[in-house]
Amino acid sequence: MRISGDVLALPFDGIDTDQIIPAMHLTVIEPSGLGPHLFTGHAELSNRLAEVPTASIVVAGADFGCGSSREHAAWALLERGFRAVIAPSFARIFLENAYTNGLVPVVLARSDVEACLRARSLEIDVDAESISTDGGERFMFTLDPVRKTFLEGGGYLRYLHAKIPAIRTWAAART
Amino acid sequence: MSGTYFDALWEAHVVESLADGNDLLFIDKVVAHEITTPPGALLIERDFGDALFDPRAIVAVNDHVSPANDAATAEQARHLRGWAKRHGIELYDVGDNGICHVLVPERGFVRPGMTLCCGDSHTCTLGAFGAIAFGVGTTAQAGAMLAGCVVVKRPHVMRVRIDGVLRGAASAKDVALTVVRTLGASGARGYALEYCGSTVETMSMGERMTLCNMAIEAGATTGLIRPDATTRAYLHDRGVPFALEERWYEHARVSGTYAKTIEIDASGIVPLVTWGTDPSQSVPLGQRVPEAANDGALAYMGLRPGASLEDAAIDQVFIGSCTNSRLHDLRVAAEVLRGRRVSVPTIVTPGSQAVKRAAEREGLHEVFQDAGALWTHASCGPCLGMSMGVLAKGMRCVSTSNRNFPGRMGAGGRVHLASPVVAAASAVLGRIPTPSQLDELTGAGVCV
Repeated sequence: MRISGDVLALPFDGIDTDQIIPAMHLTVIEPSGLGPHLFTGHAELSNRLAEVPTASIVVAGADFGCGSSREHAAWALLERGFRAVIAPSFARIFLENAYTNGLVPVVLARSDVEACLRARSLEIDVDAESISTDGGERFMFTLDPVRKTFLEGGGYLRYLHAKIPAIRTWAAART
Repeated sequence: MSGTYFDALWEAHVVESLADGNDLLFIDKVVAHEITTPPGALLIERDFGDALFDPRAIVAVNDHVSPANDAATAEQARHLRGWAKRHGIELYDVGDNGICHVLVPERGFVRPGMTLCCGDSHTCTLGAFGAIAFGVGTTAQAGAMLAGCVVVKRPHVMRVRIDGVLRGAASAKDVALTVVRTLGASGARGYALEYCGSTVETMSMGERMTLCNMAIEAGATTGLIRPDATTRAYLHDRGVPFALEERWYEHARVSGTYAKTIEIDASGIVPLVTWGTDPSQSVPLGQRVPEAANDGALAYMGLRPGASLEDAAIDQVFIGSCTNSRLHDLRVAAEVLRGRRVSVPTIVTPGSQAVKRAAEREGLHEVFQDAGALWTHASCGPCLGMSMGVLAKGMRCVSTSNRNFPGRMGAGGRVHLASPVVAAASAVLGRIPTPSQLDELTGAGVCV
């Protein structure tokens, strides 16, 4: 899988899920209709998004997606056309949600993230776990080997579904 | 691996060890609320024949916007109701509900030795009972409902040792804010926090829940407290059988080896209030905003470096949320408000219907209403800007909740996190109190 596209540069640490998708928009029973509300929790972020409407890769500061567990954050990013987020670190629940929905979370050293922030566009080779900037720089990253297999839609639940017999056996044998 | 209570509890639930530190972890109880459950329930219905692993291992609560405030939230509540009824899942609904993290312990759904997950980051609150409880996304919650397990990375265990006697108006909330301030907003990422020490041992279950509630605000996977006589007494009072958990009370006496330890002296803690846009950005009451404070956070909050927080007029006070909406929290807030009047709109939201009724038996609702505060039904309330008490741009609210993120209580709204005592004092003054004002409102010398 390859992802190439323009960069939305959000050089801020701690972009939490309330900023990504404010709670007032969590009133859906299907994950749709969230894209238009992406980053409306903070004017600084929504203004930057408006400047690069074609962007498909977010490059952000540390601890991206901290706070609420709302998977709506990943859904909103995907619906708005984003395919990957690059950051020095991610909050646990957002990271899990990203993998589960096929939004590729790329962890890079801060200096490499800064190079990506300066880039206009990036190309990510998900299989080879590498990124190339339009300036010719290349960085390697590592995906979680278990969660990498969930990146295709529905992968997580299919994976667990296949484990049900083994889980039932385990549960029956529990003391 | 390192023999702590957390490790023993985790290992007792590992169905399969996966690559890179991930485990297939068995979940004893899934808590399902109306905001994050329906999309996952629909996935199971469509792709897996609507089959649940064990409906008895799920408890459902309409809590975030309950009762519904528009057609969309009504649809969410209706979906949760229909789904729960179809599967025979126990549901707590309008008239008998409350914030899931407050209700779940009251109704005996959490016991030492259990694992729980919920599509809600503050599920770590339940760690107060010696359980491993953590927030997950909608799909992971759906996975737990479908297969009884989650795939989760095993955290390291950090001991947070808190010793000493809390003095004056300092409370469990101030301890929680101190832990977050000490670790930073992401300083506990990859860790589970195990709170211990004499301060924790003397805390009530309500105070322990306040402490564990904010583990996520330091980025921790969860927080927990080893069960003891206080835990046992709480559960016994609610008629929860504990024979099966006996071995976990035994395990709780074993210390083990921790990946990291931090120590906090509770006797030095004074009431804290946040000045910024994450819960780690706080100062002791009466101290100024740091000169080196983050520019973006200060600009959002409408403050300058070195500003005195008591100079900023506030527009609203909120007392409630899964952090501070239990009976003890309401009692201490009521003591400040008794015989006084609030000077800004003040919303008091009990955490559950049971808390509400207990508070009313003590007459606390009269105290709040005599003071001019709004005494509401039990729910998540204004905490996340989804139902009532939403802030407009630039409005400033002192809140006993857990998050001061930009836009949390409404786009452009400004939130200062504080304890129930400080929030109640702020309601009277229309400003964040100075230490001497707090002393005056709470009785001489209580704010050391």
